[in-house]
Amino acid sequence: MPKSQYVDPGKAFDAGFIHFEDIPVCQYNKTLTEEKKIYTKDDFLRIYRDMAIIREFETMLNDVKTKSAYNGVEYNNPGPAHLSIGQEASAVGEAYCLDINDFSFGSHRSHGEILAKGLSSIHKLTDEEVYDVMKEFLGGAVLSVVEKHMNAGGNVKELAINFLLYGALAEIFARKTGFNRGLGGSMHAFFIPFGLMPNNAIVGASAPIALGAALYKRSNNKPGIIISNCGDGATGRGPVLESFNFASMDQITKLWGMDGKYSDGGLPILFNVFNNHYGMGGQTRGETMGFDMVARLGAGFNPEQMHAERVNGYDPLAVIDAVSRKKELLLAGKGPALLDVVTYRVSGHSPSDSSTYRTAEEIEAWKAADPILAFKNKLVKGKIATENEIAKMHEDITARMTEVMKLAINDDISPRMDLNKEPDAISSIMFSNQKVVSMEPERKAEMLMPKEECPRVKEIKGKIRTATDKDGKPVSKMKMYNVTDALFEPIIDKFYDDPTLIAYGEDNRDWGGAFGVYKKMTEAVPYHRFFNSPISESAIVGSAVGYAMCGGRAIVELMYADFIGCAGDEIFNQMAKWQAMSAGILKMPITLRVSVGSKYGAQHSQDWTALCAHIPGLKVVFPATPTDAKGLMTSALDGTDPVVFFESQRIYGFGEQFNKDGVPEGHFEIPFGEPDIKKEGKDVTILTIGAVLYRALEAAKILEEKYGVSAEIIDARSIVPFNYEKVIESVKKTGKIILVGDACERNSVMRDMASNITEMCFDYLDGPAVVVGSRNWITPAFELEKSFFPQADWIIDALHEKIMPLPGHVPTNNFTDIEKVERAKLGL
Amino acid sequence: MATLVIMPRQGQSVESCIITAFNKKVGDTVEAGEILFSYETDKSSFDEPAPAAGKILAIFREEGDDVPCLENVLVIGNDGEDISEFVPKTEAEAAPAVTEAAPEAPKAEAVPAVEAVATASVSGEFAISPRARLLAEKTHADLLKAVPTGPNGRIIERDVQKLVDMGLTVSPAAKDGYSSAVEGSGISGKVVLADLNAPKAEEAAAVTAAPAAEYEDVKLPNIRKIIAKSMHASLSTMAQLTLNTSFDATKLLALRASLKAGAEKMGIGNITLNDMVLFAVSRVLLNHKDLNAHYLDDTMRYFSNVNLGVAVDTPRGLMVPTLFAANKMTLNEISKSAKVVINAAQEGTINPDLLKGGSFTVTNLGSLGIESFTPVINPPQTGILGVDTITKRIKEVNGEDVTYPAMGLSLTFDHRALDGAPAAKFLKELVFALENFDLLLTK
Repeated sequence: MPKSQYVDPGKAFDAGFIHFEDIPVCQYNKTLTEEKKIYTKDDFLRIYRDMAIIREFETMLNDVKTKSAYNGVEYNNPGPAHLSIGQEASAVGEAYCLDINDFSFGSHRSHGEILAKGLSSIHKLTDEEVYDVMKEFLGGAVLSVVEKHMNAGGNVKELAINFLLYGALAEIFARKTGFNRGLGGSMHAFFIPFGLMPNNAIVGASAPIALGAALYKRSNNKPGIIISNCGDGATGRGPVLESFNFASMDQITKLWGMDGKYSDGGLPILFNVFNNHYGMGGQTRGETMGFDMVARLGAGFNPEQMHAERVNGYDPLAVIDAVSRKKELLLAGKGPALLDVVTYRVSGHSPSDSSTYRTAEEIEAWKAADPILAFKNKLVKGKIATENEIAKMHEDITARMTEVMKLAINDDISPRMDLNKEPDAISSIMFSNQKVVSMEPERKAEMLMPKEECPRVKEIKGKIRTATDKDGKPVSKMKMYNVTDALFEPIIDKFYDDPTLIAYGEDNRDWGGAFGVYKKMTEAVPYHRFFNSPISESAIVGSAVGYAMCGGRAIVELMYADFIGCAGDEIFNQMAKWQAMSAGILKMPITLRVSVGSKYGAQHSQDWTALCAHIPGLKVVFPATPTDAKGLMTSALDGTDPVVFFESQRIYGFGEQFNKDGVPEGHFEIPFGEPDIKKEGKDVTILTIGAVLYRALEAAKILEEKYGVSAEIIDARSIVPFNYEKVIESVKKTGKIILVGDACERNSVMRDMASNITEMCFDYLDGPAVVVGSRNWITPAFELEKSFFPQADWIIDALHEKIMPLPGHVPTNNFTDIEKVERAKLGL
Repeated sequence: MATLVIMPRQGQSVESCIITAFNKKVGDTVEAGEILFSYETDKSSFDEPAPAAGKILAIFREEGDDVPCLENVLVIGNDGEDISEFVPKTEAEAAPAVTEAAPEAPKAEAVPAVEAVATASVSGEFAISPRARLLAEKTHADLLKAVPTGPNGRIIERDVQKLVDMGLTVSPAAKDGYSSAVEGSGISGKVVLADLNAPKAEEAAAVTAAPAAEYEDVKLPNIRKIIAKSMHASLSTMAQLTLNTSFDATKLLALRASLKAGAEKMGIGNITLNDMVLFAVSRVLLNHKDLNAHYLDDTMRYFSNVNLGVAVDTPRGLMVPTLFAANKMTLNEISKSAKVVINAAQEGTINPDLLKGGSFTVTNLGSLGIESFTPVINPPQTGILGVDTITKRIKEVNGEDVTYPAMGLSLTFDHRALDGAPAAKFLKELVFALENFDLLLTK
């Protein structure tokens, strides 16, 4: 919706046709003679070796899974093993073209890609570089094993191959000496120093993450391209298609860039589909999809058709040919690109796959076309290598693999994490808990004007930072510093302080965010750091995850908290988990802003704090005052952990009512986890979550004036983490607690806290910890909301009915146990 | 309609009265105003007139019963009337006095309701918030008197606070189910329901130490425990008060000087002033039997001899050996016997039998310069005489102020056993005896 682009009704209805270019299908046809001009004998043999190593690695795992032994060494591996026997040429061909600045993301079936890109990186780096990488990694924990227990004949590259195979296998076997301390496992193994980014057990989940990595390269002008690997089955997933679109959006080439000062061009991302014909057992071509060929999808996303192409994934040279051409395009700013790499998974989906969905004949036919066998024949026939050379190579690989396996299953050399001896081993990596002002302090932030000239900054300067003036009169709306200003201040500061910060979401830029938090920010922040995203919640959050994995910081926004569901996997499985799954190697500085609505009915009014708080690895906050909004946003943006930042549409326009000195100017932090006593009292504690604070204050006033009951009001502010000490102290004093929030009462955060408080304060309680939440209904229309969201009189009624009857009080809401039982019976 | 007669409450502090006599028996016909029974409090006695005319249908008590105020005593009515609702709870099982007058009374039905309340209270099954329970334990509030105002009849903090404000507390010793003596068996000593039914711990062993304080914990020797127990029991169960007086010791001192001078010649030992007081007491006490006695709940045991306890300060603590039948001993015998038992007590070789059986005790702090004190009775004795030091006092003789040596006497007696005047009379006689010791000796 930029004003610079005119939507012309005179042209919108013009007649014509959409033209498509031909999409190449397996057009590679170079002869060996031609190829010999490109590759040396070493190159040919290395390509072969790498494929053979992958095949042996996967064969070993298959043997372990199906026979509990490999090459006479017994072992039982209860964990997963999604093998890629048959897909080696595709992986090696792709990796051949990549260096360590090219980041690749993969799937649950990515052992082959890890080994291929690892081997390619080892080849491309110097001995010193490789050795340094190994020495630095996890304090040399992986290196010391292979250095001590395997003989590499003094050859650093051979040592590095041992390192790669051992690190990956130890990870698959959940050993502490694995690449991710055994916390990632088979489906998530990765090794960042080689540009091997996390692989993902959720089908297609790597696509938005890879998209974010591409954003990082593009917005921060970093070298290299991004490879987003997935299978053909994943193309049925929304996040993958969202990512295709997000990467293709017009603004990147048409609006991004600053007077030629920064590199223009599309996102440097190659969506590489290893098309093995099956999504588990579902046959994409002919059964579950309608595209006939994956490459056709490219035509749907941009006029360049994503430079889509279908290639023969059984021929490593054809793959190298295609990937190297795509890489060239991407580096020239013409991304994104799409490759449909045709291959076949001879192994089952997993070793328990009995192939009920395909015939033995089909498998045999593909085995006969084995890419490794075919390539060997090509080398022998082309007199590049002899049968003996190849046989010797296989012998060496088997011997090496056996040795690696013996090391990886040795409990003394490769122990598992001992959570009895180190009970905090996982606790200590759930959050990184760092304070990092700038993710790239040495670089200056790209901005369009000095901060003091930013129109919003100027506007806020003239505002009054309290809700009432010196005489106690309410400040006019126009002059009052409100919650949106409080959110804006730390965000604009961070844009100037941290060059990697980017902010995006739906309607973030020109609109200023649906609720005006980013109002008048457009003038100061360039497009590539602050933009409107497509309505693609999965891609919004998923890309932020990828952006953070690469070392950037992102604020993304989902507008309504109700849209959390649209980005469920990205929030709950990606954003929340990667710090710990990487054994603390990755940081995840993401602030995900979500806003709790009202007035807009059932799908725009929900407080979903409980969903987020339930998932380990997320920090969750919900400020209710301008001071808290500013302080918590500052902490969120300074931190290195993923934060779901809840806001409430009821109170964006509220001024500061509690802090007499007004919202502090400049850098101002409120540490996460500390609830705040908003009003002191002695008879009953009211713990509030979010905007319900103001209704609790109303209740407190009535309690005080009408019943002589003095209520202490504590605003939770943070949900995860949460320090109970202040609440416990208060309950020791009052003996009574009511927890209030706008979330539906069942399984709400209030319920969880009430249960914890009961456990910890049992002897001090004069009645049960009572929860007052919204009804377990849909949110009705605005006019009926008072029957749905907790109101002041609900709090008083709950106190009267469940804790301390108030003389003369006649409740109007039913908080009796009988009613509760009846409602529960009905699922209400 | 049958008329119930209850034990009236005679004054706010009266908890129960003793029925001294029934004037009527079951089956008797009475007129309104006729005396039904007599009863007494600790201070006075009363007659209870019949509130209505009719036949005595049932009597729930016996003569001598100590009946809590407001509880049912008897029922007046017409033959065949249902009196089951009046049967007091303690009578429920046995119902001894209910006779043929109400043979078909369905007492059993009344019983469960009454018992249910009682059991619920004792076993802790009443609803009470943890906070209210904690407050009750701290303040010894009498939860049985609490009026629950919480939801579903739950006793909450404010209900307990009200008890405390009204002074409705129970002594720790008297507490039952919910008493603070209940040791919590839950985590961090949390009192769980099961604890309420568990036997009470003998002593709370845990000493919560103030972290910074410097002190030394020394286990009490047994004798100290016994003294503590006995002294505490003495003060907490008896109605003790002390009378102080003094006497002119001029003659006594002169006599003692001459006894001392002639001791060797006469073959008598060193007669001390204390010996002389013991002698005087042994002679005077028999005229005041209430002080030469044991108070045993509802019985007085009067001794025919004076078994004189002599309080002795020993390295192990206070001991009171007894001079049995001191009234039959001469001054010299008392003096010698006293020396023997005092030495034995101090050396710890005393025959334990000699530490029992006293009927009255003399204790002497005079040698330590004490002018007056409050001796504590050695129960179940009814009195103890404290011997004080000698001070110079002035008295008028023939219009002139003259000084004289005055020796103090402090008598503590149990007001349950005797009143002030008889005790004072004893002191008066003792003073006369001591001031005229020569007459006493010749008697």
